[in-house]
Amino acid sequence: MNGEAASPGWPQVVRAKLLQQRMKEAKILAVGAGGIGCELLKTLALSGFENVQVVDMDTIETSNLNRQFLFRKRHVGQSKAKVAAEAVQRFRPSCKINAMQANIKEPQYNVGWFKGFDLVLNGLDNLDARRHVNRLCLAAEVPLVESGTAAYLGQVTVHIKGTYECFECQPKATPKTYPVCTIRNTPDKPIHCIVWAKDLLFQRLFGRADVVSDLDEAAEKAEGETEGDAAAAAEQEASFFVRQTGESSFAYADRVFHRVFCFDIERVISMKDLWKTRKPPVPLRLDELRHAAAGAASTNGIHKSSSSQQATADLSACRLLGIRDSHAAWSTAQSAQVFLMATQLFLDLRSDEVGAAVFDKDDALAVEFVAAASNLRSTCYSISPLSLFDIKGMAGNIVHAIATTNAIVSGLIVAEAIKLLAGMPENCRATHLRSSVHTGRSGRERIIGPSMLEPPNPNCPVCGTAQLSLEIDTHKTTFKELLDRVVRRKLAVAQPTIQYDGFMYEEGPDLDEDEVADYAKFLGRPLHTLPAGGIKDSSVVEVSDQAQKLELSIIVTHQEEWDEEKDPEAFSLGGKLPVASADAPAEDSSVAGLSSLTGANDDDEGIEEVFEEPAFEARPNLTSKRKRSDEEQSPIEKRLKAANNLGEDCEVID
Amino acid sequence: MVLGVAKSRLAAERSNWRKDRPFGFVAKPANNPNGEVDLFTWHCKIPGPSGSIWEGGLYPLDLKFTENYPTMPPECYFPQHFYHPNVYPAGKVCLSILDPSKAWKPGLSVKQVLMGVQELLKSPNHGDPAQQQAWEDFDLNPNEYDRKIKAQAQKYQAS
Repeated sequence: MNGEAASPGWPQVVRAKLLQQRMKEAKILAVGAGGIGCELLKTLALSGFENVQVVDMDTIETSNLNRQFLFRKRHVGQSKAKVAAEAVQRFRPSCKINAMQANIKEPQYNVGWFKGFDLVLNGLDNLDARRHVNRLCLAAEVPLVESGTAAYLGQVTVHIKGTYECFECQPKATPKTYPVCTIRNTPDKPIHCIVWAKDLLFQRLFGRADVVSDLDEAAEKAEGETEGDAAAAAEQEASFFVRQTGESSFAYADRVFHRVFCFDIERVISMKDLWKTRKPPVPLRLDELRHAAAGAASTNGIHKSSSSQQATADLSACRLLGIRDSHAAWSTAQSAQVFLMATQLFLDLRSDEVGAAVFDKDDALAVEFVAAASNLRSTCYSISPLSLFDIKGMAGNIVHAIATTNAIVSGLIVAEAIKLLAGMPENCRATHLRSSVHTGRSGRERIIGPSMLEPPNPNCPVCGTAQLSLEIDTHKTTFKELLDRVVRRKLAVAQPTIQYDGFMYEEGPDLDEDEVADYAKFLGRPLHTLPAGGIKDSSVVEVSDQAQKLELSIIVTHQEEWDEEKDPEAFSLGGKLPVASADAPAEDSSVAGLSSLTGANDDDEGIEEVFEEPAFEARPNLTSKRKRSDEEQSPIEKRLKAANNLGEDCEVID
Repeated sequence: MVLGVAKSRLAAERSNWRKDRPFGFVAKPANNPNGEVDLFTWHCKIPGPSGSIWEGGLYPLDLKFTENYPTMPPECYFPQHFYHPNVYPAGKVCLSILDPSKAWKPGLSVKQVLMGVQELLKSPNHGDPAQQQAWEDFDLNPNEYDRKIKAQAQKYQAS
């Protein structure tokens, strides 16, 4: 760091032989082989990485081909991970890429598996998987480079346990949802009508009807005096949307149209209170619309020709109606035609799906139905109709992806990965790719802006919790033994709450008798037989104390053989214990709390000792491997400040 | 794995609930006969406000949370066809503090949600009709409304 020839700074270090060797040997996990993934694998291989594991559960679709450049038309339907790995190896045979078509959330990808990697690089497309990988990387103490792109915007960040924020230290924006009241009665934006058409109407007509509930208005005709009557009325309501025996698809489509765009609208208009401050909707009359659409092909005629169509996969009402421009909003009459046609096509030619269909943005007919229905509803409520293209994007939550953004972001990921391998985590940056040019401090114009990474949020519910490791025989040890010997005696927990996914155990004087009795049933059971999979090898168990402020998680390792001489307790607890602060003692529980604390102090391996001597280094191995003497003396904050000057140069990745 | 934001918060909510439980209420994560617990579904019971036509009933309410809690509120469900102007036929409660575009705040506790629903029982919101029958009765036929509420209180009588 001090400009010595032996240890060049960033980015000069990239030319160092030692680092190049390390890049060759480093085991890299790339999660995702899609938009970012393809670019990332290419950049990794061409940068000199030779040992890459890629995991992606998806198969290649035609719509991927414009930007996921490792794939060709002939690959459609094949595994993204496998095809991408083959493509890269063809131009870089020295790079070993091991591909797996699987969901990264599957249990075989556990903490132990993650520990086998030096770095994890994310190219994911959903929050759920990102959270999961974040938690595994924290548990395995492997640095994670996280990335994301949306149109022209892109972002790369680095998460290192104990040094920088984890993915969940700051709350993430979640997909917007809309209140049911607005969707059902008082929409005022196109998206409200799209959600109604997709989640309520499409689902009611073609999907699993039992999933929909909120489309049903109260049974207005039933006198509703007893539960039974109301139930019957609701059933009658639901059965309206069931096609009757002998009813033609044409008659059915007609009936549904009248119901949802005329009858239901009139009913909502009758709720006068709703329209005191809003403009009431206007019902649509199908006969008037038919009249306006005179000249368009008759519904019956098209129906005949459509039955000769073979491929149900690319059925399209628009094509049959001769509507070609997907970027222009339809007239109300056109929307009505598309609505009727799409409904009929679904019933006649995709009848086997009715009752189980799921909306899919790549299903042309489903998108047409939703577009037509939402535009008709928009018309009722005086909301401007949208084009098929726009509605497809909104209904499918599509963000248009740009190959260049993915390529730039992948370059940034690899740059951060190299810094980590070089043992320079202090040079890592969070990097944002902006959609327009921005003038930096130096006066230079740029679209890539690096910023300093934040330290972990001490209150983060994911990485802010202390972590211990426990080796124990999960077959022989009972739950009661775990509670008594580890949780109470070693950890001094007074009123333990023990949790893992699908399991909860509580103690305390506030519990009801039946709750206590229910929980007592767990006590005699061996750990691996507890509910929801039990406590077994690589389980993560959350322990908290209802009587004190103490929360920690324990990573369990199954260990059968114990030397009675050396380990008479037949378990081993490692890790840094937080100081249990009794700042929130429950008034009524002090007796129980005190007694167990006293018990802990009797133990010859008193807890104080554990408090003071962390059994493992909180900083990742990669850092400590390259530790130099100056590093030992100065805190990371100081070094980060020193590295600040380099910050502006971070974007130089060529 | 480690519980994550939503589940950690729910674990904290349960812990806080145990420390400060309002009289007559019940709130607990659901468990099945095998002892498996679903932190995202809570079975709760709400006592009818005393001094109101709801008094004497102990009304079952399910809270359904998602991974997006507490950014997004839980959904609250009474039994199907529960009689109340702001409860949908499927039982879902329509209430401003349960609406992310209205009064929901991530800081609201389970206790505050349940107290809010209890308040809604005796003070329906006229501007948010969720079922036709109760809404119309409440508006046009108050005697009939009172009679049905009392019959419902009888049905869900606290044992």
